[in-house]
Amino acid sequence: MKRYDCLRAIAPHFGEELVITNLGAVRHEWQALRPHHGNYHLQNLGLTSSMALGLALALPHRKIVAFDGDGSLLLNLGSLATIANQHPKNLIHVVFDNECYESSRGAPTATAGQADLAAVAHGCGFANVITAMTVAEFEKGFLQAFNDKDLYFILAKVEAGAGDVPAAALDSQENKYLFVRYIEKSENLKILTSTLSRASESRSR
Amino acid sequence: MKREVATEIVDSLKEAGVDFVASLTEANLHDLVMALGEDKAIHHVPVTREEEGIGICAGAYLGGKKPAMVMMNAGFLLSTNALATVCIHPGIPVLMLIGHSGGVGEENAGHATVGALTEPVLQAMHIVYEKVGCFEQIRPTIRDSQMLARSSRRPTAIVLNKQALR
Repeated sequence: MKRYDCLRAIAPHFGEELVITNLGAVRHEWQALRPHHGNYHLQNLGLTSSMALGLALALPHRKIVAFDGDGSLLLNLGSLATIANQHPKNLIHVVFDNECYESSRGAPTATAGQADLAAVAHGCGFANVITAMTVAEFEKGFLQAFNDKDLYFILAKVEAGAGDVPAAALDSQENKYLFVRYIEKSENLKILTSTLSRASESRSR
Repeated sequence: MKREVATEIVDSLKEAGVDFVASLTEANLHDLVMALGEDKAIHHVPVTREEEGIGICAGAYLGGKKPAMVMMNAGFLLSTNALATVCIHPGIPVLMLIGHSGGVGEENAGHATVGALTEPVLQAMHIVYEKVGCFEQIRPTIRDSQMLARSSRRPTAIVLNKQALR
C-alpha cells in the first residue's frame, strides 16, 4: 500500500482535529487532501512525536494526530517511552514505515532490517498498538483510534512513493502564525503577546 | 542544590507564568526535578533526551502553554538542531534553565570542554541568556527571561552556575 492512499482514505473523516506532519512528502500529501489551519508541518526530522505529545498535553480535549515516519521515529525512539508514561488519551501516533529514507534518495532504514517499531511501542508501554499492511486495515484501525478516547500507536507498512500533489505553499513562519491564530480563535486563548503603544497610556490617563 | 533553591526556582517559574516544564535530571538538578514533579500547578514531563524536551515544549506552546526546559549544558549542546529548526526558525519561545557543568567552581576536569563551549554556542545561536550565580538573582532573571522569550517569540536561556546550584 501507499501512504497517499492511506491518507486519502481517512481525510474525509477530519473536522477540527489537529495534525502534526513529519518532514518529507507526507506534508504535501496531507495539505493537498485536507487544507486546514490545524495542520502543523514540522521542519525537523525526529521531533514529530514529541511536538504532538506537547500539543496533546496542552489541549487534552482536542484529538491530536501525528503523521510520523520510520526514519524520523528512529531518531527519537525515547519519545515512545515518554509518550507512554504521559499517556495522553487524545493522541494518535501514526508511523508510515516505508523502510527507507525516501526524501534522502532511499537508503534503507533500520526497519528494512530487524527493527519492528510496533514492538518498540508495545515495549515502551503503549497498550493500543496496530500494525496495518493494507489500506483497509489502516482505515479500520485509524477509525477505531479516531473514535476511541485513548492513546494509540499505528504502524502502517507502506511502499515508498509519493502522491501526485502540488507542493504545499506554507513556510514555517506562516504555518506557525496560521496555526497559532487558529488555536487562539478556536480555544479562546491568547498565545501571541502584544503591547499597546505608549501613546495609549497618556490617552487613558 | 539545596531544597530552598529548588523551591525558589519553582515559585519563580510559576510567578513568571510558566505552567509546563520538560526536564532531564542530573545530580545538580535533582532537587529541582523532584520539586517540579510534586508541584500541582506545573505539568512536568521528564524526558529521555533533551532535544525531545525542546519538541515537547514547542508543541505545548502551540497549544497555549507557557513552557520551560530544565537541563544541563550537555543537553543544551545536544539540542542545538532542535532549537534551530523547531523554535528559532518558525518563532517559538521556550525558556531554558541550563545547569553549567564545567563553569566557574567546577571540580571535575571532565566537564571543562562542555563548560567552555556553552556560552559561545548560545551566542552563535543568537540566544539571549543571563548567568545566575546567587540566590537573589533567580527570581528577577526568570521573570525577565520569560518576558523576553514571550515577546520575542524566541528561546531564551538562564545559565545556572555551580554556586547557584549548590
